[in-house]
Amino acid sequence: MPMDDFLSRALDLAAMKGASYCDVRLVETNQERFVVRTGVVDTISNDESLGIGVRVLVNGSWGFASTNIITPAEVDRATSLAVEIALASAQSSNGPVSLGPPVTSQGVYTTPVSIDPFSISSEDKLGLLLEADRRMGTVKGISARTGNLIFSKEHKTFVNSEGAHVEQTIYEAGGGIMATARGNGEVQRRSYPQSMRQQGCAGWEFVDAMDLAGNAERTATEAVDLLSADHCPAGVTTLIVGASQLGLQIHESCGHAIELDRVLGSEAAYAGTSFLTTDKLNNFQYGSEQVNITADSVRLPGLGSYGWDDEGVPAQSTPVVEAGRFVGYLTSRETASGLGLQSNGSMRAASWNRIPLIRMTNVSLEPGNWTLDDLIADTDDGILMEMNRSWSIDDRRYNFQFGTEIGYEIKKGKLGKILRNCTYTGITPEFWNSCDAVCNDAHWTMWGIPNCGKGQPGQLGHTGHGAAPARFRNIQVGVMK
Amino acid sequence: MMGREAALALLEKALGYSEAQETDIYLSAQDLALSRFAGGAIHQNVAHSNIVMNIRSVTGKRLGRATTNDLSDAGVRKAVEAAHQNALLMPEDPAFAGLPQPSQAAKVDSFDEATALCSPETRAQIVRGVCLQGKEHDLNVSGACRTGVQEIAVVSSHGARAYHAGTFAGLIINTMSGDSAGWAKGGSWRLSDMDTEALGREAVSKAVDGREPVAIEPGRYPVVLDTYAVDDILEALSLYGMGAQAVQEGRSWMNDYLNSQGPTGDQAMSPSVTIWDDGSSSRGWPVPFDAEGVPRRRVDIITKGVVNTPVHNSYTAGKEGTVSTGHQAYFTGGPIASNLFMGEGGSSLEELIGSTERGIYITRFFYTRLAHSKGCVMTGMTRDGTFMIENGRITHPVKDLRFTQSYVEALAGVEHIGSESKLVLNEVGFATRVPALKLSSFNFTGVTV
Repeated sequence: MPMDDFLSRALDLAAMKGASYCDVRLVETNQERFVVRTGVVDTISNDESLGIGVRVLVNGSWGFASTNIITPAEVDRATSLAVEIALASAQSSNGPVSLGPPVTSQGVYTTPVSIDPFSISSEDKLGLLLEADRRMGTVKGISARTGNLIFSKEHKTFVNSEGAHVEQTIYEAGGGIMATARGNGEVQRRSYPQSMRQQGCAGWEFVDAMDLAGNAERTATEAVDLLSADHCPAGVTTLIVGASQLGLQIHESCGHAIELDRVLGSEAAYAGTSFLTTDKLNNFQYGSEQVNITADSVRLPGLGSYGWDDEGVPAQSTPVVEAGRFVGYLTSRETASGLGLQSNGSMRAASWNRIPLIRMTNVSLEPGNWTLDDLIADTDDGILMEMNRSWSIDDRRYNFQFGTEIGYEIKKGKLGKILRNCTYTGITPEFWNSCDAVCNDAHWTMWGIPNCGKGQPGQLGHTGHGAAPARFRNIQVGVMK
Repeated sequence: MMGREAALALLEKALGYSEAQETDIYLSAQDLALSRFAGGAIHQNVAHSNIVMNIRSVTGKRLGRATTNDLSDAGVRKAVEAAHQNALLMPEDPAFAGLPQPSQAAKVDSFDEATALCSPETRAQIVRGVCLQGKEHDLNVSGACRTGVQEIAVVSSHGARAYHAGTFAGLIINTMSGDSAGWAKGGSWRLSDMDTEALGREAVSKAVDGREPVAIEPGRYPVVLDTYAVDDILEALSLYGMGAQAVQEGRSWMNDYLNSQGPTGDQAMSPSVTIWDDGSSSRGWPVPFDAEGVPRRRVDIITKGVVNTPVHNSYTAGKEGTVSTGHQAYFTGGPIASNLFMGEGGSSLEELIGSTERGIYITRFFYTRLAHSKGCVMTGMTRDGTFMIENGRITHPVKDLRFTQSYVEALAGVEHIGSESKLVLNEVGFATRVPALKLSSFNFTGVTV
């Protein structure tokens, strides 16, 4: 039976069983993973996953069921179970779900790639990691070295009972290296291009451009140098946040805070809520006038790039913060409808066996006008911190604390010695309102975060965050003791 | 649910497709149903079934892997071949001592048919009950109720044949007023073990008692940690150092306390602290063998505050000339202590609070992350119920605080240990059984709005 027939079979059965709405996703994922640990190939793995998920509205309430067995009987079972579950949901309901205008998208989307990552031999991929590992190993004082590459191809067909039918093939490619040094009663690490790995919706060219091997020795040397570096001083100072660290800062303090399902309480018991309550929309100074943040699902190679979301809504760009003023959420059909808005296409499921949730797309700080050299020269006294080592934020996304792998003292407009165990902390709107400069597009990079946890059962989302270094005044740093 | 015969027959068939020198196949199958609620109503309600085969193929000292959930003949053959081809790509690893030899795991009882067959209606009834409890106190109630079956099986070319099915049930309740929140979490392999009404009362009382919190100055305070907070400490100590891979790579907090001079390491924590991992104990969420089919042995990780040993898989054990303790929790990655216990003491929770002249009673930590691996320094927030203790009694709720604290140092300062322990069953298959603790000092570094 052609795969499309399973989708229409589920739609038909759901309608027959009383569903007022149904959508069905058939998802096939192929993934290659390579891991090297201190001279030893730890993992070469091919992972395949195929399944179908059926989501229904019955009596105004949601039900969802899924299966990895693609047969007529199993698809019928999953569809019937989704209806049964929706009927149970309706017993504990606050009223019927409204989805707003129907979605009838049609089309095909494929991530544009220059080189299909699956066309590159495993030998070449492994060779790249082994060479980076070898070069890290030339640096004395390194106790552990890791390198990883990941490539995935997800083929997804979405249909709904309103007439939508879209087909997408999403490619992702990513990689990274890390060196750990131990000595002088201390443990330090350095990563490249960012913690864990850099990842994007892209082909082999994305990984090739990282030049992991070319950056391996420097990365390892910095890890060793950190063992004897001065500790980050404690106090209040001017902070320049490097681009990759700022990507995570945006993710935690803006990206999650603008998820409208969180705002409305859907995630209260797990990840929490948000301080950006609906009364603040168009009525709250989130940051300084330097701060312009956009959520988009079209800016490649951002990990939040696609053709349509998992409700069939087209990819688009949405202003979130304009000259510091809070102007937009990430929305779904259901949550947008509640505010009299239309979905901006932010619903994604991590797999065929998960329901779509509002997920960050590419939530990015737009570039400013400064060069990094000018920004440092303009800073009399402060610290530049770069590359995330730890992150934590409260359940309303107010109080955060980040640690970075490395810091640089800034004295009289010049970068000075390196600093270890750097941390900074703050309250989100106070922090963003203290931003007085953002570097220009020459310093702007789209960072990929492939491990964003949300939902129950848990889902790992893939998000993008464009950022350039930016300066913040009067920031509490050195919070380790 | 597959059942023993079907699972082992599938794996035997797959094993028959392999022509590699050594092969093992780990099957992980899950039927999960979860009803999520917010604002007093179910807003997400899901079920899924998935069966994943994880194949390891060995040629000489080379090991390749592949994973699939396509259980057709063609799908299985493809995955077996992919694992073999991946092995051929590997350089020889001199430290690889081959796949583990079979050994018999103790049989553990953790399957309950009523839990396996729990209907959406039953979960909806539980949800309605706890939402009503909150409504009586004008609280917004949210959470999740889940039930399901987890099956694992391992076969290998060395003759391993192992199968286990366990059920799970869990309930999380969050209650919120305008300025306070409460939380409760229950879990067991048997749904009927969960007193859902008591969990509802627990979550409600924290939110009711937490109204009108007062901001206090950050700094060092003695603390009484309830079980959910202690669970967080054990989870972090496990993830950031109780596995042998982290120790061998020098990035574990245990490295500073282990040495090659003797059979055990150094004193790291209070002599009243004893922590062990035991996958076969019925007081936890028992799983008799790991993803390599190796029986999960009890490992005494901390005894009277002294660091003994991390847990091993077959690879890390082989590097040290010892045997696996059965802690390969997942198909890839290093060994993990995932069934942890902390020994109980002799004090009631009231006595722990009563022994505190001025301190903070913390019911739960949130969003805790490793700030530094030495000493397992963590940062995170308190959440859903934080209270001031003055002159041995709780006097008022306090606004949530950020902490930056070495968990090892925190446990060095254990003054009293609760006499009762609670099983905390976490979503990723991680279970702890922990008592409440009274600590001499905990470092708070900030306060939220």
